[in-house]
Amino acid sequence: MRKLIRHPATAAAIAATLLVSSACSGSTGDGKITLTVATFGEFGYRPLFEQYEKDHPGIEIRSRVTDFDTHFKALSMQLAAGRGVSDVVAIEEQQLPTYLQVKDKFVNLADYGAAQLKDQWAPWKWAQGTKDGYVLGLGTDMGSLALCYRRDYFEQAGLPTDRQAVAALMPTWQDYAKVAGQFTAKLPKVKFADSAGTVYTAMLNQSAENYFSAKDDSYVADRNPSVRDAFYLAGGLAQSKQTAAVTTYTSAWNVAIKQGGFATIACPAWMLTQIKEAGGKDVSGKWDVTSVPGHSGNQGGSFLTVPKQGAHPKEAYDLARWLTAPEQEKRLFLSDGILPSEPQVYQDPQVVAHRDEYFSNAPIGQLYAASATLLRPNYRGLHDADVRPEFGKALGRIEDGSRTVDQAWAEATQRGREAIK
Amino acid sequence: MNTRGTFGTRLDRKVTPFLFIAPFFAIFAVFGAFPLLYTAWVSLHDWGLLEGDRGRFGFANYAELFGDGRFYNALANTIGIFLLAAVPEFFLALGIAALLNRKLRASTWWQTGVLLPNVVSVVAVGLVFTQLYSRDFGVVNEVLGWFGVSPVNWQAGRWTSHLAVASMVMWRWVGYNALIYLAAMQAVPQELYEAAELDGASHWRTFWSVTVPGIRPAIAFTVVAGTVNGLQLFAEPQLFDPGGGGTGGNDRQFQTLAMYLYEKGFTKFDAGYAAALSWVTFLICVVFAIFNYRLVRRFVSAS
Repeated sequence: MRKLIRHPATAAAIAATLLVSSACSGSTGDGKITLTVATFGEFGYRPLFEQYEKDHPGIEIRSRVTDFDTHFKALSMQLAAGRGVSDVVAIEEQQLPTYLQVKDKFVNLADYGAAQLKDQWAPWKWAQGTKDGYVLGLGTDMGSLALCYRRDYFEQAGLPTDRQAVAALMPTWQDYAKVAGQFTAKLPKVKFADSAGTVYTAMLNQSAENYFSAKDDSYVADRNPSVRDAFYLAGGLAQSKQTAAVTTYTSAWNVAIKQGGFATIACPAWMLTQIKEAGGKDVSGKWDVTSVPGHSGNQGGSFLTVPKQGAHPKEAYDLARWLTAPEQEKRLFLSDGILPSEPQVYQDPQVVAHRDEYFSNAPIGQLYAASATLLRPNYRGLHDADVRPEFGKALGRIEDGSRTVDQAWAEATQRGREAIK
Repeated sequence: MNTRGTFGTRLDRKVTPFLFIAPFFAIFAVFGAFPLLYTAWVSLHDWGLLEGDRGRFGFANYAELFGDGRFYNALANTIGIFLLAAVPEFFLALGIAALLNRKLRASTWWQTGVLLPNVVSVVAVGLVFTQLYSRDFGVVNEVLGWFGVSPVNWQAGRWTSHLAVASMVMWRWVGYNALIYLAAMQAVPQELYEAAELDGASHWRTFWSVTVPGIRPAIAFTVVAGTVNGLQLFAEPQLFDPGGGGTGGNDRQFQTLAMYLYEKGFTKFDAGYAAALSWVTFLICVVFAIFNYRLVRRFVSAS
């Protein structure tokens, strides 16, 4: 050994090896094309991938599943760095405007004929993923709203427990707030809603405009009565301590579901799985689903995109098209409760007849299909993602008792304006 | 018998050592110097994370930064948490090291135990502490409840959130510092202790007049390293944030400099501003490290 490293050339070679070995190459040897598909959370794609690989022997699919934050941070970094991005990438509707601004970094799916598929989707869903003839993404699921509620708590509070009776009890959010008062009077230990933020978001998702005017994208949060109404109603619940003040998907939220900390939550279809996971066996059969106050509204839902960096855009597009085709959307709903964004699928008899045992055998197919039919899309605006958090935080300040509703409202509208740059 | 020429041997002697240390400098150039300079370049532009250079050159990012209230808020939070964590950490570590320096049974066991919190992943520490400090279901509030204290919403207040985050930092670093002090203490010459004993000095007096000055270099090292770590504090407060938006609570009550950098760069995609922020943070680190080093030198005299 000592002799070996005495010569400068040998030492240089060692140094070079040390440096080179840290880099590696990633080509498959057997001539197969490898496509990576990046999603945040499980999209239920595993069995679909297996089938696709069987039907297309030249294709191998690798799945990259991360959580929401990691997924979008990684995507931004990969787009910025110009390498490392997956062939097919899922983008959530709220993040979509950000990526539409840099649409040149993605393949225009219209180049591969995506424009002809247009009629598959609900018109607003299709419109969300396109801009000036540029088709950025193909719609996967959507998040039409329903209301999940705890049957057992409603019974203890002397309220009706039957789905239709509950829906009839609170057709509007004002009625919802009224019922919250009755509920708290009887069962003071259980909170009525999970957080002011959830109620607020659900209400906001039912109005055509939120923080920005659909006409010219100007900031209207301080003038738009829908924003104000939603804020004051949700803030009122927070101020009177009728919310559990747990942020959705945090560990505290999971614990609150497991321990029964709150009685109702506005739930898009994809949330049912998360409630099941958080609640586990203990709460099985205690939850039920009915239509949401205000009847519909969209919350969440994603698109599959093909970034330009990928080496196989044609194959990636084919895969994305297949994954979002009606047969696959139907399969995903029946297996994982992922709500289709295509009318012919959510009106399919088998989908409409679908029930969920965990939620007291609620006819979730019928409920979500009805909600989807009533759904009016809302205009988001380019800077929605900058402004939205300010209002959420303002509601948080009411929940932690540091502000009144009026103070929080004044702050939120002000900071919302500041957040636009 | 020397078959090789003397020139070759001389060259070998001169060049080989440099080649041996070359990998370090090569790696430093790639992962240290280049990012530093590139960041400086980016900070002078209006640079979007996704779009890249948006065509403006100058000190606009720095000008904006020094007029930005959120920057000063983050700076104050960072220093606040640093002081809350560092001062008790320093004394606790000294105390633990002094205890370990006595003749103990199973001393290796104790020493390993003290270091354990530092080996645990910071993410695990963050998650566990966040659970402990949970408002409704947390152990800390449960225990406070036994003494009649009503539940504290730790994230909501400035001081409560700083205390909670500081406790995580302490948990991770006390043992590590204690072990460094211990190693230094074992190198303090035994004669000094014997002399102190002959002079009739108390344990307490011996500790402050012999042990602490004796480990001055170790203290200086931990202070400088601790300062740099403390000013870059990120993972603990980030994980402690229930919303996860990186703003450190609804009112940015515990947003540190690194979190603000992350928010600007990776949530708002303003890479130019984030780069300026990281350079300013770097300079603050340097200034603080020098200041603290001097502070230690002055108060722990080597007499």
